[in-house]
Amino acid sequence: MPSVADATSFVIAAFLAALAAGVGIRLLTGGINTRGLFHGRRRGGRAYFSPERVQLLAVTLWTAANYVTDALRVHSLPDVPPATLALLGGSHAIYLGGKAVARFAPLGTNERNG
Amino acid sequence: MATADTASHVLALATGWVVLAFVTIAGGAIVYRMWNGDIDLSEVISEPSGDASMSRFQLLIFTFVIAVSLFAIIADQHVFPQIPQGVLVLLGISGSSYLVSKGIQFSSAEGVTGGAPTVTIAPQRAFVAADGASSATFTATTAKDGDAVTWALFPATGAGAITQNGVYTAPSALPTSPYVVVQATTKDNATDVAVVELH
Repeated sequence: MPSVADATSFVIAAFLAALAAGVGIRLLTGGINTRGLFHGRRRGGRAYFSPERVQLLAVTLWTAANYVTDALRVHSLPDVPPATLALLGGSHAIYLGGKAVARFAPLGTNERNG
Repeated sequence: MATADTASHVLALATGWVVLAFVTIAGGAIVYRMWNGDIDLSEVISEPSGDASMSRFQLLIFTFVIAVSLFAIIADQHVFPQIPQGVLVLLGISGSSYLVSKGIQFSSAEGVTGGAPTVTIAPQRAFVAADGASSATFTATTAKDGDAVTWALFPATGAGAITQNGVYTAPSALPTSPYVVVQATTKDNATDVAVVELH
């Protein structure tokens, strides 16, 4: 008979795997709405392609992949290097800056005229 | 003394199994309901406007990464590890950026609706002969590209017909009132109207 610890490990692993699979499959098949993930909205509601969102996603995926690799390598919960935190902070600053400019900047002539 | 120790051990073991049974049932119910659609994940990274949110998506990724790493370490070493300060800072950056981004977004009305008006009909007015064959085509432009709209006529009877592509066909006889209201409604209940004048 398995110990409580072993059984708990199995249950939690199965739960996390099912949750990750459910979310992953829905993301890939369109079951989770990703419309507009790379688009911001200017003042007035007009959508635009947003490079600041693309760079934030790239930095996020890079940070996540690095963290998982470190965790598997050192067999403990690794710290996040200050350089990575600075990179992530900078990426967020670009994202928020772009969003603020799009939201608060005056509309151009073309946008005012639709 | 030995009997007390044994009883205590049995009690701890029983408690462990009961807690595990509860966690298993709760987790199983969540996964089952998620898979059959009772727990709707379709808007899990969406804003009230319907657009997907990069901040929410990032929080989702980081939550999974930290949860899986934490679980792997606990399962491997059977101790709850110290959470490094860098991890807390990382989640703090992500969370506070999300809050600031929501502050920027909700500082204007279109941040909530995704842009207003959400549907516009063109043309706004059409003149059609009441001969049972003449028609006019209306188009609905939605703030969220590709959103389907439902077309309706008022009055609902004797005013002709409209297809779900926005093609209006006049009735064969002039009704009591020559004016027909054409309405387009999005799934978010945003509406716009146009008028057909029959002659």
